[in-house]
Amino acid sequence: MFELSIDKLPLAEWVSTATDWITSHLAVGFDIIQKSGTTIMNGVTAGLTAVPFWLMIIVITLLAILVSGKKIGFPIFTFLGLVLIANQGLWLDLMNTVTLVLLSSLLSIIIGVPLGIWMAKSELVAKIVQPILDFMQTMPGFVYLIPAVAFFGIGVVPGVFASVIFALPPTVRMTNLGIRQVPTELVEAANSFGSTPRQKLFKLEFPLAKGTIMAGVNQTIMLALSMVVIASMIGAPGLGRGVLSAVQSADIGKGFVNGIALVILAIIIDRFTQKLNVSPIEKQENAKFRVWKRRVALLSLVVLIIGGFSGVSFKNKTAEKKVDLVYMNWDSEIASINVLSEAMKQHGFQVKTTALDNTVAWQTVANGQADGMVSAWLPNTHKTQWKKFGKSVDLLGPNLKGAKVGLVVPSYMKVNSISELTNQADRTIVGIEPGAGEMAAVEKTLKSYNNLKDWNLVPSSSGAMTVALGEAIKQHKDIIVTGWSPHWMFNKYDLKYLSDPKGTMGTEENINTVVRKGLKKENSVAYKVLDKFNWTQKDMETVMLDIQNGKNPEQAADIWIKAHQKQVDAWFK
Amino acid sequence: MPVKVKIEHLTKIFGKRVKNALAMVEQGESKNEILKKTGATVGVYDTNFEINEGEIFVIMGLSGSGKSTLLRLLNRLIEPTSGKIYIDGQDVATLNKEDLLKVRRKTMSMVFQNFGLFPHRTILENTEYGLEIQNIPKEERRKRAENALENANLLDFKNQYPNQLSGGMQQRVGLARALANDPEILLMDEAFSALDPLIRREMQDELLELQAKFQKTIIFISHDLNEALRIGDRIAIMKDGKIIQIGTGEEILTHPANDYVKTFVEDVDRAKVITAENIMIPALTTNVDVDGPSVALKKMKTEEVSSLMAVDKKRHFQGVVTSEQALAARKSNQSLREVMTTEVGKVGKETLVSDILPIIYDSPTPVAVVDDKGYLKGVLIRGSVLEALADTPTETGEKINV
Repeated sequence: MFELSIDKLPLAEWVSTATDWITSHLAVGFDIIQKSGTTIMNGVTAGLTAVPFWLMIIVITLLAILVSGKKIGFPIFTFLGLVLIANQGLWLDLMNTVTLVLLSSLLSIIIGVPLGIWMAKSELVAKIVQPILDFMQTMPGFVYLIPAVAFFGIGVVPGVFASVIFALPPTVRMTNLGIRQVPTELVEAANSFGSTPRQKLFKLEFPLAKGTIMAGVNQTIMLALSMVVIASMIGAPGLGRGVLSAVQSADIGKGFVNGIALVILAIIIDRFTQKLNVSPIEKQENAKFRVWKRRVALLSLVVLIIGGFSGVSFKNKTAEKKVDLVYMNWDSEIASINVLSEAMKQHGFQVKTTALDNTVAWQTVANGQADGMVSAWLPNTHKTQWKKFGKSVDLLGPNLKGAKVGLVVPSYMKVNSISELTNQADRTIVGIEPGAGEMAAVEKTLKSYNNLKDWNLVPSSSGAMTVALGEAIKQHKDIIVTGWSPHWMFNKYDLKYLSDPKGTMGTEENINTVVRKGLKKENSVAYKVLDKFNWTQKDMETVMLDIQNGKNPEQAADIWIKAHQKQVDAWFK
Repeated sequence: MPVKVKIEHLTKIFGKRVKNALAMVEQGESKNEILKKTGATVGVYDTNFEINEGEIFVIMGLSGSGKSTLLRLLNRLIEPTSGKIYIDGQDVATLNKEDLLKVRRKTMSMVFQNFGLFPHRTILENTEYGLEIQNIPKEERRKRAENALENANLLDFKNQYPNQLSGGMQQRVGLARALANDPEILLMDEAFSALDPLIRREMQDELLELQAKFQKTIIFISHDLNEALRIGDRIAIMKDGKIIQIGTGEEILTHPANDYVKTFVEDVDRAKVITAENIMIPALTTNVDVDGPSVALKKMKTEEVSSLMAVDKKRHFQGVVTSEQALAARKSNQSLREVMTTEVGKVGKETLVSDILPIIYDSPTPVAVVDDKGYLKGVLIRGSVLEALADTPTETGEKINV
């Protein structure tokens, strides 16, 4: 056997060290970008959402009629598609997504087109940039989320950052290609008449490369759209969140609806960009219409702006009491965060909730980018996170006692203890999100029990795990899942925990509330509520089961609050 | 005539290791040697010549001889490796960027083989491009561009786009665009090579007319000897980046400097080697099984000839139909077969010119070239035979004029 004689290079450490250095040394700059970026994005979104949806739909349909001339298919599709989105209650998400895509695409174009020109003009630059573009385009989009969170925390700005990196290459490539493809004879002609490089660029190369550049921009917009879903993992608002939470809770219907909204948006943007790309001869033929086309376009813009401003002015003043909470897309946490946020809204708070991946959620509380979370499973499940971020947060104590995690099997399986496992269920354990605390516990369990040496842990998502469990029970097959309670699956199926003689899966634990350092001083009202928030496992399972049976989370939370008004009011005293 | 352009030791070497190659050029090594040893290609090789004001100076050569490179060196679309280019006594090769732009804008304009028109601009916008980049006010440049288009009879097309025009029209736009600048020197890079022969000759005539009117210095690149002989005041022949002879058409034909030029102008004892096949031209035919006299007359009219070769459906040679015969047939309602002349001079493909001469002197109509199966391959006309013997090359596209 051939063995590598050198040790494993500490590549991961190097990258982490470099990122840490950047984060600590450029923190001020990142902070400014994060703050101003968020302000801009919120402004744009507020402007877009201030316009009544029917007005916006009418204007966009009008514009669609303008660009497609005699063909009516596209305008009709636009109108019906947008009406459907509005009807599904996804208008706000749509506007958030549009803002994100607009900003990412704009930034990509502002950076990409000049870079493409530079590439076309200089062989050296082309040689340097080409491999970087390959790297950017083939690196999975998820990877960009990690530095994005490190630099900009959570929310819209890192989403834009990741989208720009991911979506930039096509614009650069196609600009470079378009300019290089201008026939030599034409470039020579322009030179022979004594054009300056600038004149040549604007009078010849740009107009001729426009089609190719637009194709690149179109690709960039599509990539930015696809990044929207991924970026929702780090708190980018919009349709992506719906898709992501549907994936994590295996909710086919919801996933489809959010997905179809994205498809409609993508098709509309795609057709618009294609139709804006016309040849000069076509333009000549349509010269008559051009003037009033422009007029209509201007007029609709004015209408939109007026609609936006009037909408903004009618908006009520922002609330005094604010809170910014994060959670993970687990059924238990969806239940608690919705109950808490509905209750706080009821008591006059303006609540912002963001679903994030487990570790990212801890990180944001530790960095002070969010006020807190009520989803800290301690001491065991979130052990790694606690080690890493425990010192940088305030632990307010349990909000739900007697939670349990462990390996769960259907009751018809004969095994009762982890040590009795031999070769059931193909020696696999169906897990949840790879970053979840419980997964670390299972890894440890596999290492500590000799009989589990050649067992595998397959990560998926909380939702996918429950679907797999349901399928196995339907077919009366063996299955072992990473379970935890409170969870509705215990109400729905006949399940049991496997006993854990070595205790590696942890004993009973509590769900705790953690808040950022300094919340007590800066936002004592919210601090008090979070400090007092608590309920029981039974409470939580009621809400969870309601959601599972088709109610939406807010409804389920409201029902529970109505039934337990006294208990809820106590949190606010 | 005063000297307008003077070239001294102009050299262009492409590729890397130019210095070594340049040293080798100075030692007189051949192009192939240099390519082998250094990998650098010599495009133009120590050229020296003068061009007078108001003359059409044609640079000829096969492809790869460096003629287009030489032309681009004159306005520095390609930077010379060494040498001097004097225009009105000023060395262009050492000009800085700004002065070079000035020279390109005012002194020299260029016309390209594939016209070099900008597809996204109308004809008028194309024509005024050279003025537009000089920041001349819109009104004035429009006027000048329209004037140039008027001269080219294209004013009606000013709002069309290049791809809506025929090749000949596009090249006239290219020429108008070059002339709108009112340059002193016109550089033409195989300007008519992309056109079909008919339009080509028209353009050559137009260029000669223009030259009579404007008296520009024209540097014309061509690989077609006939074109050079028609329009060139003086001709330079290039091979492997070197100019091997400069002179009037007459001088080059009568005193070729070396064997290469000799073969280039195809100067050989033609009567001994040339066969009917070499000098025949495509026959203009009428199919007597199908066509009637009216069709034959119409054909003669469009082809501008007074007789046609008659063939049957299978292209077997039958005879000749003259315009008088066809007219007579139309009047008396006869078919072409009844009126055509079947007694016509015929020769085989391999017949030597020396044997053709007596036949062609006796024949009032063109002589048919027929292969051994009786198929008509082409015709011989007096002009081309005489030309073949007179040691001047033939012109293609010649019409039959009997």
